[in-house]
Amino acid sequence: MQKRMNKLSENLLDKFSMEFLRSQVLKNAYGNDDTVIAALDPRILIVWYLFFGLVPWFVDALPFLLGCFLLVMVTTLLARVAGLVLFLFGVGVFSQTGYLFLATLLFGGDASAIAPLLVLTLKVATISLASVTVFSGLDPDRLSNGLMWFGCPERLSFSISYAYRMLPMLMEEFQNVLLSYRLRGNPPAHETFMGKVRYLIYQIRIIMESFYPLMLNTAKRSRTTVEALELRGYRYAAANKSVKKIKLAALKVSYNDLLFLAVSFLWVAVSILFCALL
Amino acid sequence: MNVVEIAGLTYTYPGASQPTLKDISLEIEQGDFLAVVGNNGCGKSTLCKVLNGLIPHFITGDLTGEVRVAGVNTLESDVGALAQKVGYVYQDFENQIVRPTVLDDASYSCLNYAFPDYQERGRRALAQCGLSGREEEYVWQLSGGQTHLLALAGAVSLQPEILILDEPIAQLDPLHADRIYEVLRELNEKQGKTIIVIEHHTEYIADYCRHVMLMKDGGAAWKLPTRQALQRVEELEECNIFPPQVTQAACRLKNAGFLPTDSPLPTTVAEGRRIFPVPGCLPRQNPPSARPPEPPAVSFQKVSLAYRSVKGEPRTIFDGLDLEIRQGERVALIGSNGAGKSTLMKLMVGLLKPQSGKVSLYGESISDKKAEDFSRQISLVYQNPEEMFIKDSIRGDIAYAMQVRGVPQWEERTDELLERFRLKALEGRDGRLMSGGQMRRASLAIGVALEPGVLLLDEPTANLDIATRREILSVLEDMKDIIQTAVIATHDMQLVCQWAQRIVVLCGGRVVADGTRDEIFSRPDLAQLVGIRPPEIFTMAQALCPGALCYTVDEFTNWFKEAQTHAKADE
Repeated sequence: MQKRMNKLSENLLDKFSMEFLRSQVLKNAYGNDDTVIAALDPRILIVWYLFFGLVPWFVDALPFLLGCFLLVMVTTLLARVAGLVLFLFGVGVFSQTGYLFLATLLFGGDASAIAPLLVLTLKVATISLASVTVFSGLDPDRLSNGLMWFGCPERLSFSISYAYRMLPMLMEEFQNVLLSYRLRGNPPAHETFMGKVRYLIYQIRIIMESFYPLMLNTAKRSRTTVEALELRGYRYAAANKSVKKIKLAALKVSYNDLLFLAVSFLWVAVSILFCALL
Repeated sequence: MNVVEIAGLTYTYPGASQPTLKDISLEIEQGDFLAVVGNNGCGKSTLCKVLNGLIPHFITGDLTGEVRVAGVNTLESDVGALAQKVGYVYQDFENQIVRPTVLDDASYSCLNYAFPDYQERGRRALAQCGLSGREEEYVWQLSGGQTHLLALAGAVSLQPEILILDEPIAQLDPLHADRIYEVLRELNEKQGKTIIVIEHHTEYIADYCRHVMLMKDGGAAWKLPTRQALQRVEELEECNIFPPQVTQAACRLKNAGFLPTDSPLPTTVAEGRRIFPVPGCLPRQNPPSARPPEPPAVSFQKVSLAYRSVKGEPRTIFDGLDLEIRQGERVALIGSNGAGKSTLMKLMVGLLKPQSGKVSLYGESISDKKAEDFSRQISLVYQNPEEMFIKDSIRGDIAYAMQVRGVPQWEERTDELLERFRLKALEGRDGRLMSGGQMRRASLAIGVALEPGVLLLDEPTANLDIATRREILSVLEDMKDIIQTAVIATHDMQLVCQWAQRIVVLCGGRVVADGTRDEIFSRPDLAQLVGIRPPEIFTMAQALCPGALCYTVDEFTNWFKEAQTHAKADE
């Protein structure tokens, strides 16, 4: 039993290694560029998101919320979002509202608390899933092009796509620095309970100390990147209006986009109808 | 017509007391293929950054003299205009790639300079650099050599007249290195581009370049046609540039009176064949070294490992790998980029765990131990020394492992190591701010601090000039008393031949050959399969006498002298 427990905890640690995080980030950003959602026009999706990200806050009708929730759930499935993001979503929603229900039960409440909590949960979940669909279903470049069309400054959209380009590199660097600590450090024994606590504190300290070499290494690498960006005309593009035009020329609204909007609209209309009937 | 004209150029970095470039006057003809050689820190990269206008427009400082590139005075132009005339590929080329997909990155500059046909231009550049068909791939799916080609394509896409490459093949295996130079040759001959490379590998200079310029202490010593330039053996060696092995050997033989004094020195194997008289064929056999088999230090039993990939199936690195490294051995691990050399090393130190199979260290399975526990038995020195620097000074880094383990007299031991690796004067510096050779020495000192029985070195000579390489080699010799067993993963065949007792060839996650250098290099099928190549001098000796096995310049000259004397005695 003890052995199995050990095995389990080790597996969990393995799962959450930096390499896993890195692959999930990449998967999330670029791993699903062949889905229905990814093929949509980013501008359409941003408009779509404005509706599903804002309206649920102001409506309390259960059928409407339920309808929206089902719809964004379907789009999330269509976007084939990475497992880690969904896991974080689950944790997030629970920490928002789930614990309230537990607390209610603990202090003598009963199941009648479910209904009001359900409304809140649905709101939070709908909005989160809508964000997940848009921000991880679209690859960062299409997203930033869409934002640029709506007038966001070029620097913001470049930052988004560059951050995604940098993130895996940063994580790799971080992983290597952590490995150095692991190879050369001498962590406290962690068989006893106190040992485990000390071990945890040790690990947190190592992660904090890793930031110093991480930042310096990244700074050293970005020296070349900064020069290369200058050579490759990044600054010129920011000042040149025609570059923006060329970039945005690639955006096209297609039949699929209209279909997507129409289906969403119909579905919402039906759920509003339900509200009226009830 | 001259594409570059420099007159009286002197440049001082901001805050520096001495100028980095001193009174350089230089002309480069249109369509030239020029190699710039010189010591580490003699100003080669600085000169190249003057050509593309980064100096003085982006990096300020004090510049006097005149620089004209493609008819334009760089002082009166700006980086953007110059970037369309001069393409630049950095030594750390992976950091100059800023977009996620191949086509995106190749066309990025053209988009920024507002060419409406930017994608077309990107595609054309990719085709010119031999990357057609990979347009939609993500940049992290590319191998090191392909990433370099992509960086080159990014520069080529603007169709500049001049291309500058800073040490293009430092991190590549011979096959990929050849690819890069073939692409450059094509750009030079077919497209008429002027190409300037900063290069240590004189074998490649001899094969591909037309002119060589030697830089010395910030000045341009001379610029000569390649053949003449490489004949100046003594002068080059003084500046830590080592001419091709064939040239070195011929120079020594000439000095010893075995070659006529008036004959020119050969620079390539083909020339060597014409110049060296065919000696009486005396096959040189290295005596087989029969050693009693030692107990294994590290052993792999049916090890399988796969990486998660962004899309689709996990990528299998090893599938049922069996390998044993015995105590006291000096093993070289060779194979092309991506053959699994680094992964194998990470498995040995327990940083990666095999999905199936067993890795054991001194007979005990390492999956039962934690990496921290056996750091006294085995140690890994990374390919990038930067990643080993976790403290803010070299002293702190070397001491760290001993300090946290409470090794008795760790302070004295640290002093000793600093002394031994000649780092005493730098002990307070942050490792990242040192030169390439110093960083490498420091990372070795960190690696041996705990006196591990097995030392693993990942590409210890990558990115080093020849002098620093020699120094690392002598350090390795020097450490024999501390380190019993050592494994080096490398592309550097001269290092392999000088140092290793046993060579393990990896290809596609399997051991395809395992043996002494004689066994490995006398198999032509291996060279075909994995793209490894023996040192030039070995090829030279084989060309003169198929049975000859010479791996170093010394071995070659001795063999040649012996064979000559032998032939004379026969007459």
